[in-house]
Amino acid sequence: MIRLALISSSETAKIYSGLSTRLHRATWTVFAPLDSSDLSQALGSSAKVTSTDDLFSQETAAFDAVVIDADSATAESVAKTVVDLGKPVLVGAISQWVATIGEANALLMPAHPWRFIPSIQAVKRSVDDGKLGVPGLLRIHRWHPSSPGKAPISERLMPDVDLACWLFGDTPESVWSLQSAANEDYLQFHLGFTNGGMAIIDLSASLPSGGDYYSLTMIGGTGAAYADDHHNMNLLYSGGQPNAIRTNQGHIELVQQLQEFVDVIDGKREQSISLADTFRAVQVVEQVLESANSCEVVKREESK
Amino acid sequence: MGGLKILRCGVFSVVKHDYLPRAVAAHSRFELVVVADDADQPDWVHERNQLFADEFNVPYVKNVAKAIAEYDLDLVAVSSQAERHCDLSVRAADEGLHVIADKPMSTCLSECDRLVDAVRRNDIKFLLWNRNYLPSVIQAKEAIDSGAIGGLQAIHVDFYFSKDAGPPKGTRQGNDPPIDWLKRQIEAHTDGSDGGVGIEPLGELQIEGIYPLGYIHLLTGENVHRVFARTASHFHQANVDNNIDDLASVSLEIGKGIVGSLCIGRIGAASHPDIGEIKIHAIGSKGGLVITEARPEVSIYYRDQPPSEFKNERIANENDFLLMDDFARSIDTDTEPILNAQNGRDIAATVFASLESCKIGVPVEVIY
Repeated sequence: MIRLALISSSETAKIYSGLSTRLHRATWTVFAPLDSSDLSQALGSSAKVTSTDDLFSQETAAFDAVVIDADSATAESVAKTVVDLGKPVLVGAISQWVATIGEANALLMPAHPWRFIPSIQAVKRSVDDGKLGVPGLLRIHRWHPSSPGKAPISERLMPDVDLACWLFGDTPESVWSLQSAANEDYLQFHLGFTNGGMAIIDLSASLPSGGDYYSLTMIGGTGAAYADDHHNMNLLYSGGQPNAIRTNQGHIELVQQLQEFVDVIDGKREQSISLADTFRAVQVVEQVLESANSCEVVKREESK
Repeated sequence: MGGLKILRCGVFSVVKHDYLPRAVAAHSRFELVVVADDADQPDWVHERNQLFADEFNVPYVKNVAKAIAEYDLDLVAVSSQAERHCDLSVRAADEGLHVIADKPMSTCLSECDRLVDAVRRNDIKFLLWNRNYLPSVIQAKEAIDSGAIGGLQAIHVDFYFSKDAGPPKGTRQGNDPPIDWLKRQIEAHTDGSDGGVGIEPLGELQIEGIYPLGYIHLLTGENVHRVFARTASHFHQANVDNNIDDLASVSLEIGKGIVGSLCIGRIGAASHPDIGEIKIHAIGSKGGLVITEARPEVSIYYRDQPPSEFKNERIANENDFLLMDDFARSIDTDTEPILNAQNGRDIAATVFASLESCKIGVPVEVIY
């Protein structure tokens, strides 16, 4: 049984707590909250609650591996400490600092939970199995509600940039971005892959408070896949026009990701996401932002 | 008809989309009186024209000028090879006849400009065939016009058309000659997989781009100023052999600061259970809108259902009737139809700019 420590906000801890019975060969033993909420029961009564400093100075014997779900700055400092301890770590919000991580003496698995979403997994399988043929066009719409506490644009771009590179199995040779003068929370970008492959993605964080929207279409040479929230809406009648309500898919992506982390530690499977994947996505995100700022097409170095 | 005149229509060639003259014939304000074409057209053109004329029990005249002189026409419906659309339209306009023309408007922008001039000079009405009266498109228009999502900031159209187009990409053997575009289009007429009929090979952006760009024009009321595009010959050997696209993505910078995009492709029959995934996404200052263009539809499944039969059928689709209604109103009231010559020309300019952008790899300004 692998003993896991969690470093996250208290709200996030509640989500991870709900996953504990679905994990195989792992259990939460320590929780280091990043805020001051009372979370003595957050990860179950058996988990110790301590500060991040105490976790690393006094509780190192209480855990075998660490899961970090935090903002980029916190993730960077905490992840480096865990790596120095020689313990495996699953960490999200990796951004430019990925380049500063040297040869780690322990497993460092970057968290890309978007890859583990059931619909995305199904699309990826259909690509890998050759059902769709050669990928030709990836179209993504990702719209979030407006929120004062939203993540920086570079973090919000990461999932779809990574998905594009992952699904095409390549780094784009050209990047073109388009901003909206009327909406600072809108960005559209256009990725060109070798052999004519293309991805066009728009990201918005300006919907009214409430639900978000996601749609991914992958068009291949012999087939196509459509993962679209629009297809998964039910109707609620409560007077007036009916409301569309999306079928809840829970947090399966987090379960799948955690289980892979555990399985990799156990030696039961290969790590599917590498730091090189993260590094590639970070670089493309930088190119997307560079194109948005310069209003120029950004070309990959070797394709210039 | 309450005293309203029945408008007499000549069909100037009907080699591909006979839905256009059929829509004219189906509307009570119009009647087909003659099919006409130039005598020097090849036999296959005359055969198709004759077939249509026979079905509607009207004469087929192999002389356009003679048909205009002898049949007291009010308008013409042009559904010829793509490269002849503008020329036939200009010849009709110069005789004072109103014109309904099939898409694409032309294979070159100078021809579009010539047509715009002729329409203006002769003060006639011109309608470029479009899908702007589909029920979902009307709904999108109503939602945006009502302010339901606030001021429009971004609009995206996906237009994936799930038809085959002959042999798949990669099937040509070493000694096989490249597929001849026109020959393939002529042969494909029997199964309806022809598209872009004419001598000049046309990609999907040129053939079908009018439809999604027509939606964008309708919903924004603005022109596209600049484009960035990528295209590929991804599916069909005929497109590879003729160096034309069957898949394209275009970023659009539109008037009033609106941004947009267009994805379009003839993605093959296997890639969708029906005619294709066609959607409109719009973001406004107060919300967003997601529209499936095919709705409303009804699903019908049954044993031994032919694979080529769509399992989801569009219903309540009155696009053709409403286009003809729109055109009759335009003529009666001397107002502009829903997609006039200038609109069509501006959309064609967007398409040509997109093709240029793809070629040179940078954004391209649309020429006005």
